[in-house]
Parts: sequence; C-alpha cells; structure tokens
Amino acid sequence: MAKRISVVISQGQSPHPAKRQLEEDLITRLMFEPGIDVTVVPHLYDLKTDGTGMLALQGVKGDLVVCSWLFSRAAFWVLDRSGIRGRMGVTLLVPDEEDEEELEEELDASGADKDRVSDRRDLPDRTIWTLDLKVKPSVDDYIEEIKRIATLQTTKTYQLAPPGPGVQPAALERYHAGVERPLVAPVEDSTNGSSNGSANRVDAGDGKRRWYPVIDFSRCTNCMECIDFCLFGVYGVDTSETILVEQPDNCRKGCPACSRVCPENAIMFPQHKNSAIAGSDELAASLKIDLSKLFGAPEDGKSAVDMAVLERDEQLMAAGREAVGFSVGVSPTPKEPDQSGRDELDDLLDELDNAGI
Amino acid sequence: MTAGEATPLEFMMGEYRAEFPRDRRYARNHMWAQEIEGVWRFGFTAYAVRLLQDVYFLDWTVEEGARLRASQEIGSIESKKAESDLYAPLAGDLTRFNEALLEDPSAINVDKYGAGWLFEMRIDPSSLLKAEAYIEHLEAVWVIAQRTIKGQMNE
Repeated sequence: MAKRISVVISQGQSPHPAKRQLEEDLITRLMFEPGIDVTVVPHLYDLKTDGTGMLALQGVKGDLVVCSWLFSRAAFWVLDRSGIRGRMGVTLLVPDEEDEEELEEELDASGADKDRVSDRRDLPDRTIWTLDLKVKPSVDDYIEEIKRIATLQTTKTYQLAPPGPGVQPAALERYHAGVERPLVAPVEDSTNGSSNGSANRVDAGDGKRRWYPVIDFSRCTNCMECIDFCLFGVYGVDTSETILVEQPDNCRKGCPACSRVCPENAIMFPQHKNSAIAGSDELAASLKIDLSKLFGAPEDGKSAVDMAVLERDEQLMAAGREAVGFSVGVSPTPKEPDQSGRDELDDLLDELDNAGI
Repeated sequence: MTAGEATPLEFMMGEYRAEFPRDRRYARNHMWAQEIEGVWRFGFTAYAVRLLQDVYFLDWTVEEGARLRASQEIGSIESKKAESDLYAPLAGDLTRFNEALLEDPSAINVDKYGAGWLFEMRIDPSSLLKAEAYIEHLEAVWVIAQRTIKGQMNE
C-alpha cells in the first residue's frame, strides 16, 4: 500500500484574513493530494500538552509535517515539549534572502565541543518537518515542499492506525469525557475514510494566548542559568537532572528575561516580537513594522542581562514581591548582548507611498 | 478663532488628513486623554491609528489596578501594518481596560476618539499636551517617524 504522511496545519492566533486564507487554501489543496492525511489544530503554542490538540498529534506515529505560524525551530521544540519527537527534518523552504548554510556553519563552529542535552536523548525513528507559514506568501510553495517531503519518508507505515486522520475524533472524545470540555469539533467530512477529501479539524483551544519558554535542546547544555534566574518557578529538572519547563503557566506574560540570560540562546519565546527571541535563526524575520519606539518604548543600549534583570524586577513587583536586581541568579560572567535582532519592515511600502514619502 | 473647540486640529501625514479634537489632551506616545469622572481615559490618536491601520489583536500584560511607571510596557498590538508593544503614557494607576476591544478591537479603527478607547488611569495630567502642542510634537517627530519606518525597511 502507498505510504501516507500526516500533515498538520496549525492555525494562527488572530483572525488575520490573509493568514486564514493561506491556511484554508493549503487545507483544501492538501485534501486533494493522494497519501496525505490532514489535521487542523489551533495555534500550536497555545495547546496544552494533555489537551485534545496535542493528543491528536501525539497519536501520529509516522513522519509528520507541521505547518504553523511559528519559526521552524520554535515549532519543533514546542512539539518536543509535548512529547512529539523525532529527527528534525530539513526543509527547503527558507526566506528568499537567507543564507542558511553560512549561519549553520557559524553556529556549529562556535559550539562543536559542547555537550548538548539532545546528544544523549533517544528519539523515535521518524522525522518531523516544521514549516513556517510566514516564509512564503504562496500556497504553491508549501504544496510543492510537502510533496517533496512525502517522497522521502523515512519510516514504514504500519497498519496499526487506520489510514486517514491519525486519531479518530470519536475515540478522542471518549478519552476526554470528563477530563476537560469535550473539544473535538465535528470533522468536516464525517465519512472520515481513507480517501482524500477530508481534514480532521481539532478545535482544542480555549482561545487563550499562553506565554512560556520553549527550550531548544539541541542548544541547551543543561547549565541551569535559567532555573537560577527565574524566580517564578517555571523551570524544574526531570529524574535525570535535565532542565525542563515544569510549570509553563507560572511564567509571567510578556517577560522573556530567562532567554536573555541563557548563554546558548537555547530559550525561545515564540510570541516575542524580537525574532531572535522568538526562535528565528536570522536577525530580521518579522513581516511587520515595529512601532514600539513611537508608542514610547524606552531607548535600548542595555546589555541583555541588564534587560533581563529589569524585566524580572518588573514582574516581581507586579506580583507584589520585592525587586532583587542583580543579587539573585545572575552569573558573574554576563553574556554579551547579542540579541539585538531588529524587526524587519515589510509591506509598509504602500503605506509609505500613501504617506507621500 | 471663532470655530473654537468644535473644530478639530489637523495634521497632514502625506496625503492623509489626521484630525485631533480639541476637547481632550494628548500624550507624546500618541494617545489622547480625556477626564471622565475623576479618571483619565486614553485612546490612540488619529496619527497612531493611521500608522497601525486595521487592528487585529490587542493584548494587555498588566492587570487592572496596576501601578504603572511612565513608559512601562503594558501590552501589545497587532495590526495590518504593525506589531508593536504598548507603553504607559505616564505614571499612574491603571483602573480599567476597555473590555470590548479584547473581543473585537475594530472600534479602534472605527471610532478611535470614542468607543475605541483603550484604558483608564488615575494620573497627574499636568504633563499632558493640548491639541496645539501635540501637533507641534507631531511636526517634530514626523520626520523621525518616517526615518524609523524607512530605517527598518532598509535593514
């Protein structure tokens, strides 16, 4: 029998019409591609590990392509923290001007001697490709890339799960009865067969935007700077003394301080407007102009640690606690500020034209 | 000046005519402020809304009741043209957010000087500008604003 591959479309958080259009176009086109099972979930980052959306993805055992509005690296490690693991698939979809090879070499050269957490992990025998929907404007690019990936599948397809959507919504609903609200939305096409023409839509969100750090374990060296720095109990260690984000929802919304003190830039906040913190490998990746300066953002010129200490104090005070400044959890050899990645401006051209510049 | 209070002041952003009513004050971070029963209500000025264009999402990172420093980060906004953080216009206590905007922020575009208000604060209003002074501020910053926009584009 023909190989099948699961493709997940993770929807954007805001009802941005252009984004929704790309999602829907992609879903429609994929449904007519043979051998592809389409699952639609809300925004990956907002899904709870034990919620319906992640459960649906955890049910997929073979190769997986996940399209989301997150940087590829951020999406991969968001999945990882919910136990959806595999080898990182290399995508050919990169922003047009990006010179990825050069960047990778640079990163490799700088830390080849270090012991990364991911070096001592066992991964399931499958590959996960995370495609960033921000990279290309055209649905054709994604279809082409997914078809390419489908030809290189690395695992056998077993007949354990029926072909078709990886998880049967009805089963999920049973599983979830009494656990939390039954959230499985009706599947668009209730015949739900192995043929094309349907997408499994999992409506698993409460619509709340979450905020928590995501660790890139291919960078993390388990140095514990983050657990020392964060005073809100977000971090913990597992049974093998490896750092993990134990209490993500203890994290203070808007605060990216721990990512600034991480010596390996291993901590991402996928929703942070600074693309370096959000998990981009490039410096300029946002498609939108940042008007923060106009709205009163203080001038920067502070080191990353200065910023982190300031942000942490702000959060401590907001929580009715005492500011601690540099007295707690700050490494004596502060990291050089290297996250000054500025947001790129994109389609303001027409705006500028209108403004007569 | 017979037209007096009723006529809003104008500022040309290229071809676009931004209007600034004189029945209220202004903060330098492009918010208007109006006193309502002892608290000051803030919203985006026509200048800010013009730069943002259609607002898709608004999010606050502080709670009602929070004591804010001037320029403290208080939230973020996503629009057709921009993704930006938002900052307190001046120091004071934040008393209330406009709940209606969290569901549907379109009032910011439709009725920026009315239903599109953002939040209310208890403040010392002495540093707020009158419309005339705000226009002068705009004249001074417009060049810089354009440079910011262009500068980001060139990077």
